[in-house]
Amino acid sequence: MNDIVAAFAALHGALFENAVLPALFALGLMDFSEPAFDATEFVLIGLIQIGAVYVLLRPLEAWFPAEPWADRKAVRVDVLYTFLHRIGLVPIAVYALLRPLVDGTDEMLRALGYIPPGVEDAIPALHDSPFLTFVVYLLVLDFADYWRHRLQHRWGLWWALHSLHHSQRQLSFWADDRNHLLDDVIEGLWFSAIAFMIGVGPEQFVAAVMLIRFVESLSHGNVRFGFGRWGERLLVSPRFHRTHHAIGVGHEGRRYGCNFATLLPLWDIVFGSANFSYRGMATGITDQLGGRDYGESFLAQQWLGLKRLAGRA
Amino acid sequence: MAIWLVADSAAAEIAIVLNSGEGTVSVVDMGARKERSRIPIGKEPHHLMATPDDKHLIVANAVSNNLVFLDPATGQVVKRIEKISDPYQIGYSPDRKYFVSASLRLNQTDIYEAETFNLLKRIPTPKAPSHIAFNAASSLTFITLQHTDQVAAIDLATQQIRWTIKVGPVPAGIWMTPDDRHLLVGLTGADGVEVIDWRKPAVVARIITGKGAHNFLAMGDKRHVLVTNRVENSVAIVDQQSLKVVEKFPVPGGPDCMELTRDGRELWVTSRWKRQLTVVDMASKKIVAQIPVGRSPHGVYFRGHAPRQ
Ligand SMILES: [Zn+2]
Ligand SMILES: [Zn+2]
Repeated sequence: MNDIVAAFAALHGALFENAVLPALFALGLMDFSEPAFDATEFVLIGLIQIGAVYVLLRPLEAWFPAEPWADRKAVRVDVLYTFLHRIGLVPIAVYALLRPLVDGTDEMLRALGYIPPGVEDAIPALHDSPFLTFVVYLLVLDFADYWRHRLQHRWGLWWALHSLHHSQRQLSFWADDRNHLLDDVIEGLWFSAIAFMIGVGPEQFVAAVMLIRFVESLSHGNVRFGFGRWGERLLVSPRFHRTHHAIGVGHEGRRYGCNFATLLPLWDIVFGSANFSYRGMATGITDQLGGRDYGESFLAQQWLGLKRLAGRA
Repeated sequence: MAIWLVADSAAAEIAIVLNSGEGTVSVVDMGARKERSRIPIGKEPHHLMATPDDKHLIVANAVSNNLVFLDPATGQVVKRIEKISDPYQIGYSPDRKYFVSASLRLNQTDIYEAETFNLLKRIPTPKAPSHIAFNAASSLTFITLQHTDQVAAIDLATQQIRWTIKVGPVPAGIWMTPDDRHLLVGLTGADGVEVIDWRKPAVVARIITGKGAHNFLAMGDKRHVLVTNRVENSVAIVDQQSLKVVEKFPVPGGPDCMELTRDGRELWVTSRWKRQLTVVDMASKKIVAQIPVGRSPHGVYFRGHAPRQ
């Protein structure tokens, strides 16, 4: 494990030092050398993650598909979404957009004499255990994500955007980043606010994002298996999330759906939205059966999302 | 054998390194040139310094908003002072009356009463105040403003900004020459150091040290100062009387903060991009050790360091 970390660090350092840093210097952007160092790492981890998920899940999708497909054409656009996200374009743009807002708010509060607290203020023992702190962050972020996702389904305007994610009828491990860009910005705002309130350090935030993404890739996979009776209740499985994407089940009944959790089904169990009765249903949105168009290309999907938001599609 | 090892490690001198990108401190056995342990410290520890009485080492955790006091002999945590706003860089005035903290992310400079850590004033200093220096009389503190390419002087008694002047791109490290005449400013966005006559105030010279000039460390002879060049991957020795570079040698991995042994024989440098401490033999200027530490190592300290001037 140490060797892997060291090899990765060497790669990250070499790439930054030999390519990114000289470019920043030449462009007069040395102000950003430290965020750029982190961004380089973020992009590298993202690429490695795409590779790892592909190697792990592509064979599983071939051998144990939840639903057999004649071809994988509809999946291609999701590959684009995945790359846009995981090589960092979307997250870095969202970060650049929101950072001044977050820091500006922070600066203003401190000018008034108020320093936002962290979880360590409530639980001082966390000072000495970064791992426990990370677990607490993960719990809080996952809890917040459950409610974000639930509201995405509950509020019509938000569903106008989030339905893009659900419009994939060939749901594969590539689908998890298929989102409206405006929804990505809202997600960024949501998480920035939460991270700000509990004082998440940047590196822990990145680690949490990476872990969450990995589980999300897995849970969107077109694979037939779950994690067993108890495993299903501990961690979101492909079966559990496939039920969330199921036509007529995942986003309609019981006031707009079930299985909103990202990591822990616990939240669905506690708040009464869990559904463990997977029956191999088709994925998509009911009105697609009646011919509603959510777009096939990236641009069409983004444009139609805006039109739905304006009530014109 | 085991007994010998224990005895040896108990007596060994340690270097403390802040792994700013993972919230830990590396305790490095200087004799064995190996990391002995890694201790959680807080979020984004960037800089550290000894208290004026040398009894403690203060680590400034920018994102945790606190100062952690360590035992410099062992690296053990002694106490924490909370509610210190985003301390990126810290410094005591020479008369020990004031403690200054620069908040890079939040464009503020805080002046505390050093004895009590009571906040005297939070001064807006846009943008990105990054490093701190003082004049010998302790009447002024000087702050580099990294994003607006300026240096500001703040009157410590009144806590008002006295003046700001324009300097070259991305000023970071700032250093008062031992004769109290000049401020040296490391221009990370350029290839050298600017010299400010702070009494005028005006930029009076530029010394070419290398691309990405960043931070300073005195060599203890009241004459020479070391400058890290983060983009060029080198360290330059500047003569503070002639204001010229007298020597330069390579140090890999984005050299940042430095510490020099009391006898002047070894220079220990954090190599930011390579997660390592680089040890340079100052007689031959050769790298004699590269010690793996944590992510984005920044501040470094050991007790047996050269005098600070
Ligand atoms: Zn959904
Ligand atoms: Zn989904």
